[in-house]
Amino acid sequence: MGKAFKLRKPGLLGSPFKILVLNFVAWIVGVLWITPFIGIFMTSIRPFREVVLYGWWALSPLTFTLKNYVDALFNPMFSLGKGILSSFIIAIPSTLIPVGIAALTAYGFARFSLPVKKYLFVTILFLMAVPQQMTIIPIFFLLKNLHLLNTYLGLILVHSSWGIPWITFFLRNYFSLLPVELEEAARVDGATDFQVFRKVVLPLALPGLISASVLQFAWVWNDFFFALMLIFDPNKMVVTQMLPRLKGQYQVDWGLLSSGSIIAMLAPLLIYALFNRYYMRGFRGWAMKR
Amino acid sequence: MAKGVKIVNIWKIFPPKVIALKNINVEIKPGEFFVILGPSGSGKTTLLRIIAGLEIPTKGKIVIGNKEVVSAEDGVFVEPRDRNIGMVFQNWALYPHMTAYENIAFPLRLKKLPEDEIRRRVKKVAEALGIADLLNRKPAHMSGGQQQRVAVARALVKQPDVLLLDEPFSNLDARIRVTAREFVKEIQKKLGITTILVTHDQADAFAVGDRVMVLRRGEVQQVGIPEELYNNPANIFIANFIGDPPMNIYKLPTSHKIVESLGIPSEIGKEYGEVFIGIRPDEAVALEPTSEGHLEGKVVIVEYVGSRRYAKVDVGDGLSLRVLLECNADHGDQVKIKVYKLHVFASEGKRLTTITY
Amino acid sequence: MSSLKLSPKRITFFIPALILILVFVVYPIIATILLSFNINPIFGVNIVERPPGLENYVKIVFDKKFINPEGIKTLSFPMGAIVHNIIWIAIHLPLTLIVGILFAVFLQYVKGGSIIRSFIFLGMVIPMIVGGLLIQFSFDKDLGVVNLLLRIFGLGFLAKTWTIYPDTALFSLILGSVWLWSGFTVTMYSAGLSSLPREVIEAAIVDGADFKTILFKIIIPMLKPVTLTVVAMTILWDLKIFDIVYASTQGGPGGASTVLALLMYEYFARLGDYAMSATVATILTIIVIPVVIFWIKSIMRGEKE
Repeated sequence: MGKAFKLRKPGLLGSPFKILVLNFVAWIVGVLWITPFIGIFMTSIRPFREVVLYGWWALSPLTFTLKNYVDALFNPMFSLGKGILSSFIIAIPSTLIPVGIAALTAYGFARFSLPVKKYLFVTILFLMAVPQQMTIIPIFFLLKNLHLLNTYLGLILVHSSWGIPWITFFLRNYFSLLPVELEEAARVDGATDFQVFRKVVLPLALPGLISASVLQFAWVWNDFFFALMLIFDPNKMVVTQMLPRLKGQYQVDWGLLSSGSIIAMLAPLLIYALFNRYYMRGFRGWAMKR
Repeated sequence: MAKGVKIVNIWKIFPPKVIALKNINVEIKPGEFFVILGPSGSGKTTLLRIIAGLEIPTKGKIVIGNKEVVSAEDGVFVEPRDRNIGMVFQNWALYPHMTAYENIAFPLRLKKLPEDEIRRRVKKVAEALGIADLLNRKPAHMSGGQQQRVAVARALVKQPDVLLLDEPFSNLDARIRVTAREFVKEIQKKLGITTILVTHDQADAFAVGDRVMVLRRGEVQQVGIPEELYNNPANIFIANFIGDPPMNIYKLPTSHKIVESLGIPSEIGKEYGEVFIGIRPDEAVALEPTSEGHLEGKVVIVEYVGSRRYAKVDVGDGLSLRVLLECNADHGDQVKIKVYKLHVFASEGKRLTTITY
Repeated sequence: MSSLKLSPKRITFFIPALILILVFVVYPIIATILLSFNINPIFGVNIVERPPGLENYVKIVFDKKFINPEGIKTLSFPMGAIVHNIIWIAIHLPLTLIVGILFAVFLQYVKGGSIIRSFIFLGMVIPMIVGGLLIQFSFDKDLGVVNLLLRIFGLGFLAKTWTIYPDTALFSLILGSVWLWSGFTVTMYSAGLSSLPREVIEAAIVDGADFKTILFKIIIPMLKPVTLTVVAMTILWDLKIFDIVYASTQGGPGGASTVLALLMYEYFARLGDYAMSATVATILTIIVIPVVIFWIKSIMRGEKE
């Protein structure tokens, strides 16, 4: 072997051979895992006839087309282009409103002494776990009476209310980890509660607020059930509700559906990619006890 | 049978350029309580981990008894579990979901010993360490000192050849530290097991060590019995690091009058333009100005440490020496300083000579 | 920390949330419960025209779409929505837990393991309606990955569109949901693993434990808090599953893959029976409650420590 033989790092698994095999297997699993995504993408950019005849994995003949995307975006009945617009119109206010309101509430929870705090806390946890199905029927009729059914505002109100419990829980954990001294110093300097909140706490809590916003936006964009129940006008439908309607009655046009799927998932994927740190921190933060 | 540990030409380089250990060579005698002392970043923990098998050296080898447990050049690596070592980690590393009994029994279970043998050994070790009544508790329900004893028990229960301790006292309250040190020293003496302890606290080293090795930035500064390090420090770093309160060390040109009044040999003056003088606070006293002394100056401040008083004396030219105060001088008074021991260091650090008066 | 006294001004911090939650969350929950008993909630018109009582709850027990005794007896689908949800949990929960812990542990040793982890996580990022479509796509006879693999391994005779047959529809959806949800479990366990103190694992190495022992006797027990949360979240998700089924099978064929949430929707939108719809929703929530209590208890226990 000669001098200075390189010893492998002492690890738990043992022989370098085993680790090599593990790497090999892991990557095969990894590639297999995203194959559905690869498949749906390939189907979307190739003519459907070609996919049906040869399979999306076939390397010849290999033609690319944007027809599927055009069909989906400018679909006469359910235009995904309009769908995306609607999704944004719903998601942006449905993020800003609950994050703002929950921030106030969470700050109160973290800093003010509430008599029934523990019970309120438990109530919030329950509200987070309750299924959407449990609230939708009365909401449906409530919005109907308020003439907010089938309107953006109605859906925004519902999403905002639905988001407040979990965002409050999440931000409260976050606020309680911020050092109190800065706020106390501000108070001594003469700031009111609201000023302390706005000028000291919010800037400090920015990462947490971004995490909450990123997750809420993704959640609202991805929502299907509320939109399904509360929006009927094809011109106002969000992109997620349009997708199932693109399915044919007898034959599934995967060309159309695949491009539609890709279009629908672009926004949340981009958010995940661009705001990855905040996304993952938020994800871990709210699903784990502090 | 106690086993010695030979550390031969150990180098550890973390790529790309960090040299954690530089040519460490030392032979630890069987049954010895050996302390590796050094500030953070000195490589002491890395060396311990290499002995344990949790790190691999870049060069060199380690021999426990007469078994080579690792050799970078010959491609030898014995797993930690086959080295018959016991290790106590800095944060105890007790298994939080197991009781003290289960924690201590764990290594024996892994060796597949029969249950009654396990029970016997665990009880024996627990009694020896005074934790027999804690065996049913989980770590979360124990004090720091108790957790440490459980960690030591776990390390000892498999009757290892070598016991390794990584900063075992740094997590303890100051009051418990003294008891813990005595306790570890007693156990070691009773069992006669070769023990290697790593610490950054020189008081720990001096309290328990038979021999101490001082590391700095991966290099051995000095190895010797504690008195040796105290009385004949090999260089300024050791002189400064060991001893509390720290030694007064000052740089002086050899032409300075103080150098003469202290009686430093003229050969040194001929070879070196400047030297560092070192005087331990406990090895010089401040007396009435009428007494005989080597230096004189004004008291700047008086400090009380335990039953002793120290005075910081300004002897001029920016030198203030902290020395024992043995007269009634107060802030602002003149005093004479009588030096009992003086160390002279070259400007690169190594000790040139020591003068005892 | 929370030492500031409540004053009228401070209460304003809570008011916006209070209003929205009371109107759009709390009231609807109570109203749905009332509706399930055929009681008309205050704000609405006469939503239900039947006399108040337990009638709906009695009816649901005999509803074959809810629970189908013949199906259960003969072990053939459909077995009823509630049975389908239970089967879903029984298969999905253990699978995703195992995938979660194994992948989290082993991917540590893989080069580029974090990339693989993000591949796995993609299922959690996309809308679940797309998830359902992807599942249907994957099980498609001609285009699906599953059948492609079967053909590659010479099992081509098994190839079919799994989601359209009553005996395999539910199982294919469940497997697909494992593919989607594993991103959650892997992420949770990865985070848990990285928070384990390294020294404890090293102590086990020095004590002589091998990989398997460390995994089962040290790592997994120390990850119990993570496991509790993951189990609770997973069961809740399995109970509330809707989008995936709607997108792919719509509960069919013949109700062979229907689930409670979908049943609730059908009563509302297809049968127009709002009270029954409320009943299914309430039953779903009743099942959810013990899981939530278990989860809350483990959070509270965690806060105390």
